[in-house]
Amino acid sequence: MTTTTAATATAVSLRGVTKVYGKGAAAVRAVDAVDLDLPRGGWTAVMGPSGSGKSTLLHLAAGLEHADAGRVLIGGTDITDAGDRELTDLRRTRIGFVFQSFNLIGSLTAEQNVALPLRLGGRRPSRSEVREVLASVGLGDRVKHRPREMSGGQQQRVALARAIVTRPEVLFADEPTGALDSAAARTVLDLLRAMADAGQSIVMVTHDPGAAARADAVVFLRDGRVVDHLTGADAPSKHPTATQNGLKADTIADRLAAWER
Amino acid sequence: MFRISRAGLAERWTLFAGAALSVCLGVALVQSSLLLIISAATLDPPPGLPAAERLRFAENADASVAMLGVLLGTATFLAVFIISSTFGFTVAQRRRDLALLRLVGGSRGQLRRLLLGEAVLLGGAGAALGVPAGLGVMAVQSWLMRTMGFVPDGFRGQWRTWILGVSLGTGIVLAVAGVLLAARRASRVRPLEALRDSGEAARVMTAGRWVVGLIFLAGTIAMVIVAPHGGPAGGQAISLNVPMCAAAAVAAFGPLLVPAVARLVPTGAGGPLGMLARANLRDGRRRSASVAAPVIVLVGLVLGQAGAAMSFTTAGIEEQHRALTADLVVESTGPIGSKVTAVPGVASASTEIQLPARIAYGAGESAETENGDALAVDPAAYAAAHPGSETLRNLTGRAIMVGPGGDIPSEGTVRVELPETTLGDLRVAGAVPATLAGGATVLVPAGLVPPDQLTSAPSRAFVRLAPGVPAAEVAAALSHVGQVSDVDAWLTADAEARASTNNKIMVVVLGLGALYALIGTVNSVVIGAAARRREFAEARVTGLSRRQVVRAALAESTAVTVAGVILGFVAAGAAYVAVLGTTSAVTGAGTLQVPWGLAGAVVAAILVVTGTTSVVTSWSATRERPVVLLGARE
Ligand SMILES: Nc1ncnc2c1ncn2[C@@H]1O[C@H](COP(=O)(O)OP(=O)(O)OP(=O)(O)O)[C@@H](O)[C@H]1O
Ligand SMILES: [Mg+2]
Repeated sequence: MTTTTAATATAVSLRGVTKVYGKGAAAVRAVDAVDLDLPRGGWTAVMGPSGSGKSTLLHLAAGLEHADAGRVLIGGTDITDAGDRELTDLRRTRIGFVFQSFNLIGSLTAEQNVALPLRLGGRRPSRSEVREVLASVGLGDRVKHRPREMSGGQQQRVALARAIVTRPEVLFADEPTGALDSAAARTVLDLLRAMADAGQSIVMVTHDPGAAARADAVVFLRDGRVVDHLTGADAPSKHPTATQNGLKADTIADRLAAWER
Repeated sequence: MFRISRAGLAERWTLFAGAALSVCLGVALVQSSLLLIISAATLDPPPGLPAAERLRFAENADASVAMLGVLLGTATFLAVFIISSTFGFTVAQRRRDLALLRLVGGSRGQLRRLLLGEAVLLGGAGAALGVPAGLGVMAVQSWLMRTMGFVPDGFRGQWRTWILGVSLGTGIVLAVAGVLLAARRASRVRPLEALRDSGEAARVMTAGRWVVGLIFLAGTIAMVIVAPHGGPAGGQAISLNVPMCAAAAVAAFGPLLVPAVARLVPTGAGGPLGMLARANLRDGRRRSASVAAPVIVLVGLVLGQAGAAMSFTTAGIEEQHRALTADLVVESTGPIGSKVTAVPGVASASTEIQLPARIAYGAGESAETENGDALAVDPAAYAAAHPGSETLRNLTGRAIMVGPGGDIPSEGTVRVELPETTLGDLRVAGAVPATLAGGATVLVPAGLVPPDQLTSAPSRAFVRLAPGVPAAEVAAALSHVGQVSDVDAWLTADAEARASTNNKIMVVVLGLGALYALIGTVNSVVIGAAARRREFAEARVTGLSRRQVVRAALAESTAVTVAGVILGFVAAGAAYVAVLGTTSAVTGAGTLQVPWGLAGAVVAAILVVTGTTSVVTSWSATRERPVVLLGARE
């Protein structure tokens, strides 16, 4: 791993990142020469039409997918050419994931699922440490339950607890509320908001303008390219329907509709 | 890691139970064959046995050790094959779980250690159960060998304490070897695969499979080419080994071959169900290949070996038919030659007296002894009765010839020891053509054998009649000498005896092994269905009734089974090519007898067993309401 800049204000930066699936005529440029800086301690939402490359972008930024061109830096560390060992280490200590399908291990209890990343890292977390994290997502009373004994919202909160138990620098979330009803989604978004306010860097892909409005900034993708960028500063502050950071669901929905045309 | 291991064990219990069962039965089979072979090799003749019977006893013991050697080889092959294929399959079925571990920070090394740890655990547990199970298997096998007359009545397999270590070691080593390749591959799984719904790996024909498949394919081709040049004994041995090699080759190419062949099988379920079954075949290549693998081995091994053995027996009988010019056979005791030729109407007779013998040859390091038969003959008469052995006419002095079943050098000197005397060093003048049916190890001119050795030994005279003499009259006259039969009737009776011995050997060698392969098939159907609860649930919420889901699964498993059967026939076919080559090289006419009756029975048994297993497993996998399953997103 090569450290380019020591202290940096960006959690993740992408430089000319490109990902092509397939070959020849069937080739799809899922992500096309994207330059993007995602701020440390900020919550960025990624939006765009279906198939615009949002998930691919997220996977590239998290080192789950290898870029065909360009460079990916996490907290100043260039991971573009990192080997498997470094990437494993990265997943273990510096980044966390949440997905639309919760991807918990069905045979393990909530508590065991949450403790898993720490155990894989060679640590033996104390029971209270794990329970504290579960309590922070409102599941202090579900520690012994297995995924199939929990609602979708609860499973997603276990996944969230698992993602943050290692205190990662960046939390990646791909449509974390996509499978949830509005009440369960709100609970998850509230948790993310609280984390962001506490200084957690979050990158979240979503389809829901309401969810994106809870973020600090929105990036719009289309055909693998960044086509638009919204921050709180763009929104009329003091607007009655504005959320605390100034982004407005209506504005986002309008922009999205424009790009989906 | 260990806790995950244990929790995983509880969750995917059918997978692990299947893997442990494959180890248990494989270890049981190997352990039993090993103990039996040692018991047979160290079997002492009962005290007070007459010298002639002592030698006969030693010869029979050699034969049963040789048969048990084949049994041990078959058992080991099956154990290696079934255990490694089952373990590899269980690892492949858990690809998604493993990707998930990678996603939350598991390293490749950790995944490998997890899988190898499980293999040690399961291999050890399976072997621990396999040791007592092996005692049961040994009781059954030694009972089979006793009732079929291959071993004396008092024969029992004996326990050896060191077998504990061997069995445990075998179980663990085979289990670990089975997952070694699979674990390497699984540990390279990309974390992103956890996000895809299907656990199926994109590339199923891995480099390892290509290498293994090509090695076994090359081995098969080499054996088929070499077999005709191996002589009767070598050719038969090589041909009997072709099915294993060919089945392993075909099974290795399973992910390519099985779906391709299965797609041609009419599933019987038309419309959307047939379409679903066919799509699943295409999608689940790895599963199809794993279910078909034991079927391929079962069909290839049983039909290949049984067909080869039957063909050689038939070829041996035909060969004997051609290599005998006689009209009547007289069976009696002692030197009956002069009495036979004295009967009016007898033109000539070759009298052959059978003596158990120990033949020693070579010197120093390369000294060897062989227990077999010495046939006391009148060289000229023998040459006349057995076309092809004319060289015998030139036999003079203290010299002998290597017999049709002799596997000793055809020059130099040998020591021939008879039950109560030794004939001393004798020159080997040459050999008569070796035959598929075998026979005496050496042909000794009767004049070299002390007369008292001959008086009580079984003898046979092959009689040629003078032209125009009615056979019935001569036969009546000969009946005072011994039991007379028409040569055709005698050959038929001999053929029946040989065929029945051959069938008994097949039952001993293949019976339990075939059962093991069949259980292996059940195992892989169960393991394959275990990971499909979610898929079945999705099919049901799409609008299929539970009955339809079960029917589609049945259609799919039937197609895969039939594909396995067809590919098993291909493996058996390779053995048949070797058989044709060997028989035509040895006897001049290619002989092949396909055991159609056995084939029908085996195929019916396999179809019934896999069909039933598929229905039971898919019925129980759809027991829960689909929403319950789809609710939990793992
Ligand atoms: N593994 C893959 N192989 C081939 N093509 C892929 C693969 N993954 C994604 N693609 C293609 O890349 C493009 C972008 O896919 P991606 O999953 O990033 O879209 P998305 O914006 O997340 O869409 P959605 O909102 O529907 O989830 C699509 O055209 C898709 O077909
Ligand atoms: Mg997506």
